[in-house]
Amino acid sequence: MSDTVETGAAPRSAAGPSGARSLAEVRAAVNGVTLWCPDDSPAVTGVVAADLMSDVLVDARPGNLLVTGLVNVQVIRTAAIADLAAVVFARGKAVPAEVVDLARQMNVPVFASRDTLFEAAGRLYAVFGSGSAELGARRQV
Amino acid sequence: MTEAEFVRAYEIVGADFTNAGRASTSIKETLKNMGLASALIRRVAIAAYEAEMNTVMYARRATMTLHVTPAGVTIDVQDEGPGIPDIQLAMQEGYSTATAAMREMGFGAGMGLPNIKRNTDEFVITSEVQRGTTLVMKVHLN
Repeated sequence: MSDTVETGAAPRSAAGPSGARSLAEVRAAVNGVTLWCPDDSPAVTGVVAADLMSDVLVDARPGNLLVTGLVNVQVIRTAAIADLAAVVFARGKAVPAEVVDLARQMNVPVFASRDTLFEAAGRLYAVFGSGSAELGARRQV
Repeated sequence: MTEAEFVRAYEIVGADFTNAGRASTSIKETLKNMGLASALIRRVAIAAYEAEMNTVMYARRATMTLHVTPAGVTIDVQDEGPGIPDIQLAMQEGYSTATAAMREMGFGAGMGLPNIKRNTDEFVITSEVQRGTTLVMKVHLN
């Protein structure tokens, strides 16, 4: 077992460690197109959906998937700093090559989805289940 | 008591959004190479990144210095910039003087300074208007 769930992290979901999903599962849930992902087997512990990276730095847990409508290099830097599992760029926005290049350099898997943020979050909520404490984790470090 | 200390300084340039976050990323890599616990590294990295983004958004330039001793990790940031007139107000969650351009970059929610406090064991901020702001952020190893 890795140490992706750390001191101060919210309790595991009701489903326990098995509540985590693979990158392949979350990508399929949002009909995601892979922009860069060398391995889609790693576990995703939960989801954070936001356009403000300031909020992501407060709310995200290690191993979370970030779903965002913001498309710039700071999304990748934020994901790397916060130990996130991957990023889904929602709303069908064009993702610049420099963003994908940085994701590759920083080892952050990235996907694109045509879903709106609301749709993507809804589909992922269904995948992880309403019992996932990770989904509701707020402001506890 | 004499302690071995690792020190590395980084220069941060105001308004340089392209490179914003590189210093914090380097700090994170350095701590990872030292074999520190991932939970501790994440707290330090988030605090450093918040401070770095504040510098890029508001200051002209800053020096961010990483100190690692057996007791813990300290990062101090000394910037040259407008300073903060009311630190108590700036520490309130949601208070922000960010511009629309800063928010388009994904920052400026008024969560930066409170989030630094949340992720550190000690946090001291001092500021002089028209001169600059100094942050000292410590995370204990034990």
